[in-house]
Amino acid sequence: MKKVFSTILLVLLTVGLFAATKVTISGWPGNPVEEGAIKQAVDTFNSTIGKQKGIEVVWEPIAGDYKQMLMTKLSGGTGPDIFYVDVYVFEELARANVLLPLDTYIKRDGYDISDFYPTLVNAFKYQGRTYGLPKDFSTLALVFNKAVFDKYKVPYLTNNETWDSLLKKLQQLKAAGLDTPMVLAADFNRVIPTIISYGGRLTKPDLSTALGEPNAKKAIQFYVDLVTKYKVANEPSALGAGWIGEALATGKAAVGMEGPWLIGFTKESYPETFKNLGFVEMPKGIKKSTMIYTVSWSINRGTPNKDAAWEVVKFLTSDGQKIFVDGAGVLASRRSLAAKDTDPIKQVFYKGAEYGTPWKVPTKTGLFATANDQINSLLADLFHSKITVDQAVQTIEANYNTWISK
Amino acid sequence: MITVKHKTKEAIVGYVFSLPIIITVIVFTIYPIIAAFYYSVTDYQPLEARKFTYTFNPYESLEFNTGILREEAKDYPLDQMIQSFDPVTFVEIDVGVNLSDEDKESIRKNFDSLNLLSDYRDGKLPTEIKISDFLMKYMKSDGERFAKYRPKFVGLENFKQMFKDMYFYTSLSNAFLYSIVVVPIQTLLAIILAVAANSKIRGKNFFKSIFFLPAVTSSAALSMIFWLIYSKPGILNQVLMSLFGRFGFQPIDYLNEPGIALFAIMLMNIWSTAGYFMITFLAGLQDIPSSIYEAAMIDGATGWQTFWKITMPLLRPQIVFVSIMGTIGCMQVFDQIYFLIKNLRNITISFYIYKNAFEYGKMGYASALAVVLFAIILALSLIQRKVVKEEY
Repeated sequence: MKKVFSTILLVLLTVGLFAATKVTISGWPGNPVEEGAIKQAVDTFNSTIGKQKGIEVVWEPIAGDYKQMLMTKLSGGTGPDIFYVDVYVFEELARANVLLPLDTYIKRDGYDISDFYPTLVNAFKYQGRTYGLPKDFSTLALVFNKAVFDKYKVPYLTNNETWDSLLKKLQQLKAAGLDTPMVLAADFNRVIPTIISYGGRLTKPDLSTALGEPNAKKAIQFYVDLVTKYKVANEPSALGAGWIGEALATGKAAVGMEGPWLIGFTKESYPETFKNLGFVEMPKGIKKSTMIYTVSWSINRGTPNKDAAWEVVKFLTSDGQKIFVDGAGVLASRRSLAAKDTDPIKQVFYKGAEYGTPWKVPTKTGLFATANDQINSLLADLFHSKITVDQAVQTIEANYNTWISK
Repeated sequence: MITVKHKTKEAIVGYVFSLPIIITVIVFTIYPIIAAFYYSVTDYQPLEARKFTYTFNPYESLEFNTGILREEAKDYPLDQMIQSFDPVTFVEIDVGVNLSDEDKESIRKNFDSLNLLSDYRDGKLPTEIKISDFLMKYMKSDGERFAKYRPKFVGLENFKQMFKDMYFYTSLSNAFLYSIVVVPIQTLLAIILAVAANSKIRGKNFFKSIFFLPAVTSSAALSMIFWLIYSKPGILNQVLMSLFGRFGFQPIDYLNEPGIALFAIMLMNIWSTAGYFMITFLAGLQDIPSSIYEAAMIDGATGWQTFWKITMPLLRPQIVFVSIMGTIGCMQVFDQIYFLIKNLRNITISFYIYKNAFEYGKMGYASALAVVLFAIILALSLIQRKVVKEEY
């Protein structure tokens, strides 16, 4: 069997010598607009740099469970040459040594990475080495429906909202007759901005969990109280929506904390609602806080075409990024491109890059997936009043080490 | 010429003809079963499986490690270089391979740092080499250990870990609960459907097709339909609201309410599989001689009596079959849980196996869970066969 494969491989390689080097790039499929932008970037590369250097890029998105599929493909040695790595799973992959360190290439070509937001570049460093360059990023902002606020005669949300003033306005909406003004997800990463703005932290310096600390507990309590005690918020599913953006776009909720990915979706599918949407910074506690979601372009360590792959990554994080920012409406990870992006709606999201925290929980083992699932489950229980915050935090503290173990 | 006995010849021809299926079964059934048993006593981590097959540039790694550029290396005295050179950190960090404690110990003892550094100074290293080849070349002995990834043998560690894992208990008891509720109801419902479809009512073929329809529909499609039915503003809540709204009925988020979600899935599964098992019972019903029913009628038995005293006992082989198949299916229920359940509190064991294997990268632990599930299903099937004796 092995022989047959190697023969086929040999034939392909011989053919390949005369044709262009094929480099596959992979990620999760986006909405049609995003897909269009990525195809445009691929075409641009193939017709310019690719033609000169004999490299042909192919976009092969992975539909479904991206992380599972990617990990299985990498284990089997059939992974794509270049792929998205979500900052949330970055450390797990970096520790497993399946990503190619880029430092030598950056140095060799004198590729200037000082233009990227430092937070984003550092998010893809592990033990001092760079394993990916930020494709783009997103932050969370407070999104609200002005028409609903007008209807119930409640003052608009502002950039200086605190958690208490937000609650007050939500209660005003509720008192005026709106049953659930806010849509809130039972997802750990959505609770993190609240925790940090309350002065809490995710991990102690020794990387054990800090969710049991008073500030973090107070923040979680407030987040859950919005649903259970004040009854001004609920999960998207309880409102009959698949996600927060859908709940806002379809008018099932008037307030939500969501990222810029809702812009394209709402503009396309619910243009009437889109006109009424207002975007302001996330509410403050003791300090400002938001979540930074970012994805890198990383190279498969097992790729036979390392140099060609690096050429492609260089393009994707420079001229390619310009195409994504113009076409797909994502936030530029390069500060020079961000400065040129004057879309007024996106400004509030860009601001988040100054004080946001990347969506990543450092652990001793680099693993957080299990803990994330477990914490999300506990949050769901909290939203349904099955347990108290104290019980949830106790469970987390008691089991944290098991959850992050190998 | 060797004369082959006719019987041997026949056997050879037979095996040759069945070779395709023998190979398929060995490759896709027997091998995975053996592999699962093997992995269950190891800490097999899929992402590590290829760690020795990657290629790297030894010059780059050495430049990183020593801080001495390759052109300048020959100007440095060898004994000075070797003093600050730690082979374990070099291999682990700069070459980039995760090492077990035994691996580290072996490298500490057997790595030929002198040879490597002098090759570096003389510029005799290749610019691209496979990690396994590199390590085998520069280990004085024991280089074989790096030829191929071998998961660490951990004995019963994975099984011990289960006792401390609360989601093992949750997912397993969910699977039991699921089977206990679903199997009897679905079997009984399938019998009732079969008896109905076997009677002489009008349009029975139409009913048969309708009942069987869910069995040929993809479970993904069914899950999506039920997601719509069960969602909070969905059709089920609307119907219940219009009926019981004035008695204070509040809409329920069936799939997210931890106490209800699993029962919602059960209901869906009973509905979708009863029709499938109906076919088995229909076949069983055709086998019951009509003379027995006629004799019962002459003796004055009611329809109810006929059903319990004749139909049910004579369907016994089918009931055994359906309940065993149903139990196996229920203990392994995966797709509906995968599509519809978000809260870990409501997952079943096979979904937990999937999560561990493919999302958490704990293939060893997942295999151990699979072995436990296998043992449980085997035991259940044996018990069922003992309790409901087959009579032929």
